[in-house]
Amino acid sequence: MTLHLSIMLWLPLAFGVIGLFAPPRLAGRIALAGTGLALAYAITYVVDYDSGAAGLQYVTDETWIGELGISYKLGIDGLNLLLVALTAILWFACTLWANLREVERSRLFYFHMAFAETAVLGALLAQDLALFTVFFDLMLVPFFFLTGMWGGARRVQATMKLVIYTLVGSLLMLTAAVATGVLAAEGDLPLSFAFSDLAQRPLGESSQQWIFLFFAAAFLVKMPAFPLHGWMPDGYRTMPLPALAVFSGVLSKVAAYGFLRVCLPLFPDASEQFQMLLLLIALASILYGSAMAFTTTEARLILGYSSVAQLGFITLGIFALNEQGAQGALLQAFNHGLVVAPAFFIVALLAARAGGSQDIRDMGGLGMRAPALASLFLIVAFATLAMPGSANFVGEFYILLGVFTEKIVIAIVASAGVVMAAFYTLRLFITAMHNRTGARVETREMTFREGLVLVPLVLLIIAIALYPQFGLKRSEKTVSAVTAPVTEQQNAAEQPERVDALGVAAPEIEAVPAP
Amino acid sequence: MTSLKLFAWLTLLFPLAGCITIALLGRRLPGRSAGYLGTGALALSFASAIGALLSLLDSDHEHRQVVAVAWDYAASAGVDAQLSLLVDPLSVFMILVVSGVSMLIHAYSISYMDSDRGYARFFAYLNFFVFSMLLLVLAGNFLVLIVGWAFVGAASYLLISYWYRRTTATGAGIKAFVINVLGDVGLVLGTFFIFKHVGTLDFLGAFESAREELEPGNADLTAGLILVLVGAFAKSAQIPLHTWLPDAMEGPTPVSALIHAATMVTAGVYLIARMHPLFELAPTAADIGAVIGCLTLLVAGTIAIAVTDLKRVIAYSTMSQIGYMIMGVSAGAYAGGLFHLMTHAFFKALLFMAAGSVIAAMAGQQNLDKMGGFRKAMPFTFGCMVIGGLALAAVPPFSGFFSKDEILLLIGDRGGWYWILYAAGYVGAFLTGVYTFRMIFRAFLGAPVPEARELQEGHLHHAEVHTNPNNGEVEDTDVGFPGADHHIAEREPSMKLAMGVLALLAIAGGFLQVPKITHVIDSFLEPTFEESALYHRELSDGLISFGLVLGAVVGLAGIAVAYLIWVRKPQIAASVRQRLSPLHRLFVNKWYFDELIDAVVTRPALWFGAWAQQTFERVFVNGLLVGGTSGIVRAGSSAVRAAQTGFLRYYAALIVLGMVVLSFYFLLNA
Repeated sequence: MTLHLSIMLWLPLAFGVIGLFAPPRLAGRIALAGTGLALAYAITYVVDYDSGAAGLQYVTDETWIGELGISYKLGIDGLNLLLVALTAILWFACTLWANLREVERSRLFYFHMAFAETAVLGALLAQDLALFTVFFDLMLVPFFFLTGMWGGARRVQATMKLVIYTLVGSLLMLTAAVATGVLAAEGDLPLSFAFSDLAQRPLGESSQQWIFLFFAAAFLVKMPAFPLHGWMPDGYRTMPLPALAVFSGVLSKVAAYGFLRVCLPLFPDASEQFQMLLLLIALASILYGSAMAFTTTEARLILGYSSVAQLGFITLGIFALNEQGAQGALLQAFNHGLVVAPAFFIVALLAARAGGSQDIRDMGGLGMRAPALASLFLIVAFATLAMPGSANFVGEFYILLGVFTEKIVIAIVASAGVVMAAFYTLRLFITAMHNRTGARVETREMTFREGLVLVPLVLLIIAIALYPQFGLKRSEKTVSAVTAPVTEQQNAAEQPERVDALGVAAPEIEAVPAP
Repeated sequence: MTSLKLFAWLTLLFPLAGCITIALLGRRLPGRSAGYLGTGALALSFASAIGALLSLLDSDHEHRQVVAVAWDYAASAGVDAQLSLLVDPLSVFMILVVSGVSMLIHAYSISYMDSDRGYARFFAYLNFFVFSMLLLVLAGNFLVLIVGWAFVGAASYLLISYWYRRTTATGAGIKAFVINVLGDVGLVLGTFFIFKHVGTLDFLGAFESAREELEPGNADLTAGLILVLVGAFAKSAQIPLHTWLPDAMEGPTPVSALIHAATMVTAGVYLIARMHPLFELAPTAADIGAVIGCLTLLVAGTIAIAVTDLKRVIAYSTMSQIGYMIMGVSAGAYAGGLFHLMTHAFFKALLFMAAGSVIAAMAGQQNLDKMGGFRKAMPFTFGCMVIGGLALAAVPPFSGFFSKDEILLLIGDRGGWYWILYAAGYVGAFLTGVYTFRMIFRAFLGAPVPEARELQEGHLHHAEVHTNPNNGEVEDTDVGFPGADHHIAEREPSMKLAMGVLALLAIAGGFLQVPKITHVIDSFLEPTFEESALYHRELSDGLISFGLVLGAVVGLAGIAVAYLIWVRKPQIAASVRQRLSPLHRLFVNKWYFDELIDAVVTRPALWFGAWAQQTFERVFVNGLLVGGTSGIVRAGSSAVRAAQTGFLRYYAALIVLGMVVLSFYFLLNA
């Protein structure tokens, strides 16, 4: 097995294309094989990865469009390693889930799923800003189709919202990306979009500001963060389940990853300047998401709003702008993905047992004849609410500690989100599994097929809970390198002489006049 | 690995292994075998704890604090969190109490829970609880402590809502869990404050660096310890975070005995004792702990006199007794507080077991108003109840007498405003005598109720229709829990055995430490508290004799008053109730703490949620933002307007087109 990143990247799509020409009943199996192979590659990377090094490993670097300075550059480091693994794991789980059920127009469905995996892996692996932007925007295309064609009721409206929101985000991001490359290519420097080049060509403060805000808007929409989450309720209600599980589990994390990969290293001044704004948005997401999660009665939306809150924690960690916060955010990104996907599967199983209703008021007493399902749900629920002992808690601990050393009040207010999470998660568990049996409820144990997807994921949650060091160890070196520019920035701000030195090093550049 | 470390790990691992085995086998375990399995695991754990005790006694004085590390748990970015245990006299003392008492409660449950459909689930939970509690007391750093702390809360939640068909039980469960999580958060934030200054999560390292680096009265340390106290109050049911404990009585009675009396609720006491080097550097925080403990012991004592639910009387008494312990360890009476923790575990577990037996005889009914005259029908239970009651009321020479005395003695000796606490302690002791014997007299003396008469004739009463004793709701009997059969101590050897052993301990446990005569607890715990000045205080002889006499008199006086009111002249009770009706209303309504929390916390939170749901989301997020954005997009381009009415692929095409156009624009400009 050659450790060539392109192979892992394009495998799912290649199998998806093959599936298009295969008999419909085989399409699922073919897609499963593709995503399975990608998973095998991802596991190999995780095992083989050298945690002692900070820089990129397994780098592929080819010139793609020479005149524009865009290169096809892929690589793995501490920032994306675990997210790549998460992507591969969840796509495999979701493809398996779909394989165990009937899917209409299966060839197209699996093609879009596979396409989406390649796009997400591309966004994670890309080490060139232009390539990143292309993959980031491509990610959404298959999801429009998955939502629009296989979605539930009111799918057109939901797709429309999704399109409008993300279209705006994407265009902002594209503009910002192009501007970054162009503005950085000052004087004699050749145009280049590679992260490594851009990091050495710091932009002037005012350009950094608006470019940062454009990127931030795109990422915050994708997460989604308060108040840009308007597309989320309709989208979550209607998306087909396998697509929803990866969407919520992985796509939101790509946005968080974007902050770490793009914003902190390339726009350290702006990150520092807008720290408070982002922290406040994160805090609002936590409180608002939690408040919504404990009043809504739709099971999918409880998970959706809880994700808004959890992504708020992740953003909080990133904008602590220190090592602890970023370490926590990365670990939490992995954990949350690993927890939210099985949670969606479980909600689907519950709805199937409650006469097809997603409303928790129609559920109740489901745990009675289903002890195994109830146990799995309980473990997932405890992990979701970040109970100490789960890796999610370690993530939150690091995040809050990171914020605590920076902005003590924000950490204290944010910790209210932890208490609220305990309430809304247990409320979901109790109203579904406990109390009296609902009128249309039929309690039955999880079948072998249902367990086939759920049990391995839950075992993985337990494993990472016993040894969260597994993730922290791998990301440590890169994270300290990534947070270094911002930390230096903060130190510089505290020492006036060094500001001058920096000012000389990075002369002011006027922003390109807006079109 | 030294034998001490090995025994510590084994103590921890046996209950975990028991839990996993029982959980995986589940209902495939025939008959009572899940109970035997669970109890066996605990017996092995207790044996390992004794092994740890022996190897600890075997080692030199300097080597009595050992840290055992398993692996790096979450050590990165300057945080040094390993999976480590701290084995020292304090933790060994705690594991002995926890595993020993738990073993007896498991034995009791073998029969008591028989016929319940969730039998195996019950023992899996119970084993998990003991594992968590042992992890809590053995933790070697803040992070592992928090993990044990939260696991204990989770286990408590699971066991409170064990009868999950009852909405009252699930409601009580979520309440307990959320308040416990609040405590966890306090503990986490407190840890941050401490970590900021000492730079390590390891207990011994943190204590040492605090001693060297921090000025006494450091503001951050004080703030951190107050937050730690929030954790302690939530778990140990101290005011105002106590409201979950009475509701927790929804769980089966052995659970009340184990978690809500003998072990979990004393975690706060352990925590303060463990952190004593820090508390001695932050006297303000310690004083807050002492004052809250004192308030709790008084408030809970007054409520216990008024409530009529048998288990809730004992629950409030638990709160009150833990108030003593919290007051003690906060004020520096470490040995006294821990001593009382131990004797309380004995007699309170015993009282709950006896109460369980009575409740079984009443077919699930818990209301004292409906009980009476069980003395002849249940002589063994009655005997146990009286022994437990005498120990609780601190009548010499029962165990509670010596341990309570030990706490109050040191507080009195500190003088100054501590005299208020000292006096309040004796007021509380009087109340204890009253409420304990009010309960015993009402349940066992007087004219036998029909259930008692039935039992005297040799037949155990079973209700025709099973109802939830708390709201009268008819149970789903097809589900099979709570079990249809009831079990009383008089007929079940395993219940008798557990209660018998505890009764002996409740009588004799106090002799471990009799003022001026024996010092077992004091000298055993000494290595943990070596550096503490408060621990090595010399007490005056006069105060010792005065305290012993006063304690005995006050306890007996309380019992005498109870006898007068509820046996000799029952009409007094009614007239007192009438004359002091505002006070009685206050007590019956539990000082309105539930209503207060409801108004201050729950309602605003729900109101905010409802507002976000119904107004903000609809008007702002959906109306203004979604509508606004789409409006801008609509107005901005006729191409988009056309696309919105058309097909999906236009959207995809639009994105690609947009990308291309913008890219070119910027590249040409460059």
